[in-house]
Amino acid sequence: MKDKVEQLVDYIMKKCLWQFHSRSWDRERQNKEILTKTMQILCDEPVEKETPTDKCYWVDAVCLADAFKSRYAWLAAMDKVEIKLLMQKLKDRMDYLTVTGSLNEELNDPHY
Amino acid sequence: MHCAVKEKERAGVINPILTCQPCGAQYASIGIEDCIGIVHGGQGCVMFVRLLFSQHFKESFDIASSSLHEDGAVFGATHRVEEAVDVLLMRYPDVKVIPIITTCSTEVIGDDIDGVVLKLNNELLPEKYAGREVHLIPVHTPSFKGSMVSGYDVAVKDFVSYFAKKGEPNGKLNLITGWVNPGDVAALKHLLAQMQVEATVLFEIEDFDSPLMPSGREVSHGSTTIEDLRGTANALGTIALNRYEGGQTAEYLESEFEVPAIIGPTPIGIRNTDIFLQSVKKMTGKEIPQSLVRERGIAIDALTDLTHMFFADKKVAIYGNADLVIGLAEFCIDLEMKPVLLLLGDDNTKYPNDPRIKALEEKVDFNMEIIMNADLWELENRIKNEGLELDLILGHSKGRFVSIDNNIPMVRVGFPTYDRAGLYRHPVVGYQGAVWLAEQMANTLFTDMEYKKNKEWILNVW
Amino acid sequence: MPYHEFECSKCIPERKKHAVIKGPGEDLTSALPLGYLNTIPGSISERGCAYCGAKHVIGTPMKDVIHMSHGPVGCTYDTWQTKRYISDNDNFQLKYTYATDMKEKHVIFGAEKLLKQNIIEAFKAFPNIKRMTLYQTCASALIGDDINAIAQEVMDEMPEVDIFVCNSPGFGGPSQSGGHHKINIAWINQKVGNVEPKITSDYVINYVGEYNIQGDQEVMIDYFKRMGIQVLSTFTGNGSYDDLRAMHRAHLNVLECARSAEYICNELRVRYGTPRLDIDGFGFGPLSDSLRKVGLFFGIEDRAQAIIDEETARWKPELDWYKERLQGKKVCLWPGGSKLWHWAHVIHEEMGVEVVSVYTKFGHQGDMEKGISREVAKKLRVPYLNAHAYHNGPWKGYEGWVRFARDIYNAIYSPIHQLAFVDISKDEIATDTKFVTQKILSDGNVSEEVKSSNELREYTGKYDNLTTIREKTYPEYPLQKKLSVV
Repeated sequence: MKDKVEQLVDYIMKKCLWQFHSRSWDRERQNKEILTKTMQILCDEPVEKETPTDKCYWVDAVCLADAFKSRYAWLAAMDKVEIKLLMQKLKDRMDYLTVTGSLNEELNDPHY
Repeated sequence: MHCAVKEKERAGVINPILTCQPCGAQYASIGIEDCIGIVHGGQGCVMFVRLLFSQHFKESFDIASSSLHEDGAVFGATHRVEEAVDVLLMRYPDVKVIPIITTCSTEVIGDDIDGVVLKLNNELLPEKYAGREVHLIPVHTPSFKGSMVSGYDVAVKDFVSYFAKKGEPNGKLNLITGWVNPGDVAALKHLLAQMQVEATVLFEIEDFDSPLMPSGREVSHGSTTIEDLRGTANALGTIALNRYEGGQTAEYLESEFEVPAIIGPTPIGIRNTDIFLQSVKKMTGKEIPQSLVRERGIAIDALTDLTHMFFADKKVAIYGNADLVIGLAEFCIDLEMKPVLLLLGDDNTKYPNDPRIKALEEKVDFNMEIIMNADLWELENRIKNEGLELDLILGHSKGRFVSIDNNIPMVRVGFPTYDRAGLYRHPVVGYQGAVWLAEQMANTLFTDMEYKKNKEWILNVW
Repeated sequence: MPYHEFECSKCIPERKKHAVIKGPGEDLTSALPLGYLNTIPGSISERGCAYCGAKHVIGTPMKDVIHMSHGPVGCTYDTWQTKRYISDNDNFQLKYTYATDMKEKHVIFGAEKLLKQNIIEAFKAFPNIKRMTLYQTCASALIGDDINAIAQEVMDEMPEVDIFVCNSPGFGGPSQSGGHHKINIAWINQKVGNVEPKITSDYVINYVGEYNIQGDQEVMIDYFKRMGIQVLSTFTGNGSYDDLRAMHRAHLNVLECARSAEYICNELRVRYGTPRLDIDGFGFGPLSDSLRKVGLFFGIEDRAQAIIDEETARWKPELDWYKERLQGKKVCLWPGGSKLWHWAHVIHEEMGVEVVSVYTKFGHQGDMEKGISREVAKKLRVPYLNAHAYHNGPWKGYEGWVRFARDIYNAIYSPIHQLAFVDISKDEIATDTKFVTQKILSDGNVSEEVKSSNELREYTGKYDNLTTIREKTYPEYPLQKKLSVV
């Protein structure tokens, strides 16, 4: 599982533009919204996308889910419970890397 | 039909001809061996000047910043100068000369850099760098005074007055070139070599044009040494080619060390080069050799092929550093051209009393305007809105759109000339410079005739 | 110890944290170089100042504006004609620059009167321009001129003009980045919401953080227009002042350079609820993803896909021609702030090129979090490309990316570059080699199959590929929804 999480992390780190907002609260929100919606797509669950805000997260989630599916064949072999667990661990890891464990000293600046 | 000397009437500047003083001090600093300047101010004051130099020379030059930030602007930033000197000395073991160049911000907040230098000389240098030769030289160049031209003038004087030291006569001539290109220095040294005159050249900048060697790129830097600067006090005499770019240094050496001074004229064109050689002869007692008579003859021959056929009556506008503009104007007159508009890019109050400008006022018998404190809008507005007709523009690259948008051919001359290849390699001074300039002007006019189909057939049989 | 100490920095311990080498098994939480720190005094720094970050980087690309700096002439002169942000109105913003020309007497007695005189003169000189941006400099900040008050005074007296004031003196922050921030916030505070735009499409965006370097903006706008999207404003390349006052009416902010312009997107989200979508116009993959995302957002992904298919079919064979010849080659990149990290990956993936060194002069840590996966390699004579100004751009868009590959190819396979290594005093000089072509140099290790491919081809576009874009007409997509703005 750990290795799989790292593969997904590596993809996000290299490819995704949504992960490095400059403030910690934005990063938390981005991680939460986009990775939750990605999980829902991967698990064929309904996804909230009625408001422009949700629509925007969903857009990134669609692309991320597609990329995961096409790049990581092992994903197809996982059931939904496993995918949920995987995605939860992915989110935890991303939160650690970009927020709680980040050495970036500007994240907690209270203003944009 | 007369020459009118005026000042720009608008308060502001639209498209400046010159930048501010610190740039001039920085240009002087890169001419000295083992010298890296520290500009005391915001980082932009260095970064953009380095960019300007690298645009012009396509080479990179080292100049450091004290990097003034918010806290320094509020509480004073002399500690940043102290730190900067230390860092520079640590990082560059060969550095010996460090001018500390002020800007508008650090002059406004009133940082006492002379005091800092004193302090560093008493504390840091003996304590941490004992035995190392280090010279810290305060250079005051607030950006709200003068221009890059006066900044250069101030810095040359500061360097020379810091180092010059009376000793045994060295039999050499001091040649203060002013703000010129490597090609100019080469041409001037050629003239002196022909006359077998040894000179201390301020500054030796031929190496700004540095090679890409099999072993790697050589660094572009000037090579005037501390010894050269010391020896200026012991010369036969000083010739400062440009009144406003080194003139006060010549005066200083004369009043302080009784080194006779001749200031100007900028040796652009045949006539001014003749005068330069006469000055050299007068100071050194050396004869002007046949080789130069011949070289001059070749130049005269080249010009004669061009003047009455192509140059006569052509209306020219010239902008840039005052010495350059005046020198070019005088040359144009010898070439039968009509320099109708001269734009001097700063507000030096000495211009109206400059004997060369006085002479233009007295003798010019066609309509000429000389605008002081001018910007490029003085040129463009006259063309676009006041019906000024021009055949040619002489000036640096910052005015390129005046030429492009108004379909007026332009020869790039002065500093910077980043939109043409390799111009720094070619002289505008001396007989060689006269030929180069005249032929550049002619070829530019010819190309323009061809693009505009304006009697382009004339050249079929030239 | 992941922090990398350069030989030249040994003497400055605090500089140690400015560079890192990422070791095996380490992640970002164990090594992140410090960015956006005050420069160490005495450095020969490539960094600019907060004034240039505001005026030169973000303000001046606005095209229908008098850009005036209040201070001595140098700030204006020095930042003038040093970037290639072009526009479709004959480059007004490149050609004209204005300084109030503060002198010693103004430093002593104040320069507010001078400023007012300047503003009026400038509008008089250019009677067709009614908009102005006004920038503080170190000197005018230190003497305490109230620029806002003077601007307001002029606007009261001349109701037809509008003036934006940016108080971002050079010393305000460690680098140009402090100025990016200040002008972002100043613009939304002073100007956004002042103008109501005419909405002509169901799909309305602002294109943010795009400066039209060599025409990038125009290339990207072309894609949006083909999708039937209305681009309300561009912040700020080729952008119009009044369009940028109407940013609040967009449905989506499409953000290109987050480093310089995320602040305004974040504020637009907080104040107007407009979502921020980060996109990237560099590289076939990132660009296709970006267009697809914008399409998905509006439910017009089919239109996006049509463009992706058409452009890929047109340009991919040309990109691959270069990729085959650039495999494993090393280049050194000097990008601006934000593009550090994904450039390296995309260049590697789509061109086969190894990027050996990325380096940022005003990036923040957030940019290097993205960028430090590659070791800092120090090697002389690695071909170097300035990704800040570009060589022969535009480099955005599908065609642009091929142009970039072509520029790298031309930088690497230069017969002159090869000659530079020869020492005529020592080396044996081949007397039978009169010349080599670039292809002789590049195709030595390329397979016969690739060389004889009918599929792959060299770049076939024109030197100037913008004129055709500017002359284009676009399909009409009539409005479907009822307008929310009347």
